[in-house]
Amino acid sequence: MAELVIARVDKIYRSRKGSVHAVKALDLVVKPGEIVALLGSSGCGKTSTLRMIAGFEEVSSGSITLGGKAIHTLPPAARGVAMAFEAYSLYPPLTIGENMSFALKASKLPQAEQDRRVKSMAEMLEIADILNKYPTSVSGGQQQRASLGRALVRDAGLYLLDEPMGQLEPQLRAVLRGRIKHYLREHNCTTILVTHDQTEANALADRIAVMEGGVLQQYATPAELKARPANLFTGAFIGEPPMNVFTADANVSGDQVTFTLEGGAALAYPAAELSAELRGRLARTPKIALGIRPHALRLGGGVVRGKVVACQWLGDQTHVAVDVAGRTVVSVSQERVSRAPGSDVGLSVAARDLHLFDPASGKAIAHGGTLA
Amino acid sequence: MDHTSGLEKILRGAAIALVLVFFLFPIAWIFLMSLQTNETILRIPPSLAFTPIIDNYTALITGQLRTAAGSLQLNFMQNMFNSVMLSVCSVALSLVLGVPAAYAFARFKFRLGEDIAFTLLSFRFAPALLVLLPLSLYFKTLGLTNTYIGLIWVYQLICLPLILWIVRGYFEDISPDIEHAYRIAGNSWWKTFTRISIPLAKPGIAAAGLLAFIFAWNNFIFALILASADKQPVTVGALAFVTASGIQYGQIAAAIIISITPTLALALYAQRYLVEGLSMGAVKG
Amino acid sequence: MSQLAIKSLSKTYGAFKVFDGLNLAAGGGEIVVIFGGSGAGKTILLRLIAGVEEPTAGTIEIAGHDVSDIAPEHRGVGMAFQNFALFPHMNASENIATPLRAAGADESAVSACVAKVAKLLKIDHVLNHSPRELSNGQKQRTALARALAASPKILLLDDPLRNVDAKLRFEMRLELPRLLRQSGATVLYVTQDYKEAMALADRIAVLANGAFVQTASPEDIYTRPATLGVARLFGDPSINTADAVIGTGGGAHVVLGGTRVPLAESYAGFAGREVIFGVRPEAVEIGSTGVEAEVIAVTPLNERTVLLLQNSSGWEFLASLPSAAAGIPEAGSRVRASFAAAGTHIFDRQGGERLHG
Repeated sequence: MAELVIARVDKIYRSRKGSVHAVKALDLVVKPGEIVALLGSSGCGKTSTLRMIAGFEEVSSGSITLGGKAIHTLPPAARGVAMAFEAYSLYPPLTIGENMSFALKASKLPQAEQDRRVKSMAEMLEIADILNKYPTSVSGGQQQRASLGRALVRDAGLYLLDEPMGQLEPQLRAVLRGRIKHYLREHNCTTILVTHDQTEANALADRIAVMEGGVLQQYATPAELKARPANLFTGAFIGEPPMNVFTADANVSGDQVTFTLEGGAALAYPAAELSAELRGRLARTPKIALGIRPHALRLGGGVVRGKVVACQWLGDQTHVAVDVAGRTVVSVSQERVSRAPGSDVGLSVAARDLHLFDPASGKAIAHGGTLA
Repeated sequence: MDHTSGLEKILRGAAIALVLVFFLFPIAWIFLMSLQTNETILRIPPSLAFTPIIDNYTALITGQLRTAAGSLQLNFMQNMFNSVMLSVCSVALSLVLGVPAAYAFARFKFRLGEDIAFTLLSFRFAPALLVLLPLSLYFKTLGLTNTYIGLIWVYQLICLPLILWIVRGYFEDISPDIEHAYRIAGNSWWKTFTRISIPLAKPGIAAAGLLAFIFAWNNFIFALILASADKQPVTVGALAFVTASGIQYGQIAAAIIISITPTLALALYAQRYLVEGLSMGAVKG
Repeated sequence: MSQLAIKSLSKTYGAFKVFDGLNLAAGGGEIVVIFGGSGAGKTILLRLIAGVEEPTAGTIEIAGHDVSDIAPEHRGVGMAFQNFALFPHMNASENIATPLRAAGADESAVSACVAKVAKLLKIDHVLNHSPRELSNGQKQRTALARALAASPKILLLDDPLRNVDAKLRFEMRLELPRLLRQSGATVLYVTQDYKEAMALADRIAVLANGAFVQTASPEDIYTRPATLGVARLFGDPSINTADAVIGTGGGAHVVLGGTRVPLAESYAGFAGREVIFGVRPEAVEIGSTGVEAEVIAVTPLNERTVLLLQNSSGWEFLASLPSAAAGIPEAGSRVRASFAAAGTHIFDRQGGERLHG
């Protein structure tokens, strides 16, 4: 229940083969009780960041403070941080139950209270029936839940969860996500979650820090990341299926704005749907990268036409891939849609669903018709 | 850790130097001995100041050993030839037998398979002397005493288990899917073995062959008992320098230098294979 | 005549029975997805068909001929492996060329064919790279190209997208159907990702506990699952379940947490039956009628939002709503949930089979 402040933190790994700048000038504030996800692909610096907070790595420069106290020079055990490891790291000679209560041994809580906590945690994570088993005799998913339980059962100022749900059984995952989120909220736990899975980040986190190449790309709520990505990387990274991105030329003429996509297809909008500032900007620099989320790309109508490549119904949604002038674009519909492969289809997108980026720097220019 | 201080560097250098001295000193000392006469070797206190001579080497090569007590015939070059002959032939034979066997043990589960593989390995556990007594009796009966064939045969006790167990591990590391893929692509099992399995296990085969060669080369006891002078390798041949008139340290040292040269050269040449072969193991696609 | 037929196929390892009495027929050009969890025996089934392992009992027929005595190299199948199984000592082009060379094609035909299939799979720029220089996606495409190169009549794909990242997997999922159709081969595709199965299959064969539990079109599998097990395997989040008893007083219904949930009248025939009530999360509707529940947590998933709900008797269930929908409740609020008939299934509590209402 403490605020975590990461200020200008760098991590540089030096070796004989040269140095790797794994985390670059990271600034991040996690408010008390907030759940934050560090999201990125492997090598983006998220795990280094987590390890620096936990104390397994030294910061090369900068500071980390938890609840107003600088912790980056303290040994891991003195930082008041609980961690669930990606590789579980359960103690093999202890049972699952002992593993979980082990974390409470130092807490000076009465034994009855310790037992009660372990029991209710085990029930929440659906491992109450295996508390007497040893880690090696249970499945990977169960080990992961035990490792998660061992971290959450403690009283800590900060909870660090490293890929905490990667191995969970698919049938349990959705329910456990809900229960864990509820638990973290109810206990007002300040939590940092490291993951490469954006579904997990979206489901659990209040805010997501998107990292790439050691640099924080954007730090915002899941909804904001989706609606207003700060740059092309975040835009393309967040969202499943990924955003359709085209290079395009904008043409502002009178009461109409037209985007001519690579390959020749054109999207036209009444000028009123785009703000005057944006129109001015487009008139000056018409070259843009245009992003359209698959969910915003509607089938039928529209002047952009293409051929259906694949139409795949997945039970609760339909993915339609359409070949538009040699490029495959993806449209997702929440309903069931049937389109025969090879058939002709029109595509349309509302002005409010357009994302415009600078093609050179990748920085966002506009979202939904207004400047970013 | 990331940072290395100057002191740490110095200490590390000193430690490495110490290890090197420990391992290289005997070789260096023997090399120096090989360039001296018995008199300079044995003087007390020992000294590094001497006039190097090559007499020891010429004696070995020409086969004429002159000592204070007179002249002596040596057949060291014959010993050398025997060593090469025995080591090369026994390693070659055990590769021919061992590689397919290793493949079989790696790929197929058959009745008694593990037991047979273990029995082959257990040849290396038994003290050589224990094996030798019955062997020498058999050899006499079979007429194999003092023949190359007999010696190459018994050298299999050294080479075959080594090759079998190292190469087996190698074959096990090759994903069966890779072989399956090649077969499904339309190739016979033999072609799959020769074009996929063997090339992929090559580092392991090379490493195992080299190790087997070194072990065979260094063997002493088998040849001492089962062969007489004309079939003995250098390891046994060196005994000839223990003469009635004293031990010829200079010649022994020269003989050692000559006899370790081939294995040393081979090891240096194949170092890359050895390291790759014995440490890396897995064949990754 | 079916291009590939499996008849009473069994495989055991010692005392361990992998599967028993499998039957499956696939027509020419059909894409059949073998779907099941890990350890279900999917890969072993493909190996038996390829001929690199032998069945314990039963026969495999290709184009009407029993292939039991035919060596793998003569069965005319192509296979792509989950771990790619590229030959590490050959470059991509040589890898792809192997089946062509083995068939004795002359070099000009080989290089023409390699070039063609490489272009189709967009790996023509990495043909002279060795496998270790290829990215995972390129490896996967090379493996696929090798399987396709000799235009086999039967194509066995063993979870080929398992080891590539989410983005590539998605791209390939859209690309594969066209590619497979073009090849004209009868495809057996193994996966444990239900979305992949639904996206690619003409038919899905669900392998569980050593048998095909259901073999049907994706639509049938999803909307008419044969058993609770099948219903659980398809859908994310997976189907909600609750123990219930079918009542008939005033129309067929079940009672969940004190609230009557009406069922189609056709279930009246099962009155008094102990059942498992199942409802898909996307069929849970939040409104003014139905089961009263508290919203425990709200977890947005991409374009849908999943609610974890709990009713007064402690039954936890999930609702999946489009994120764009109006009025998504907040955590802690109390709501009422009703269940759309299309996503509601009733299963027998003993056997787990779906009761047809």
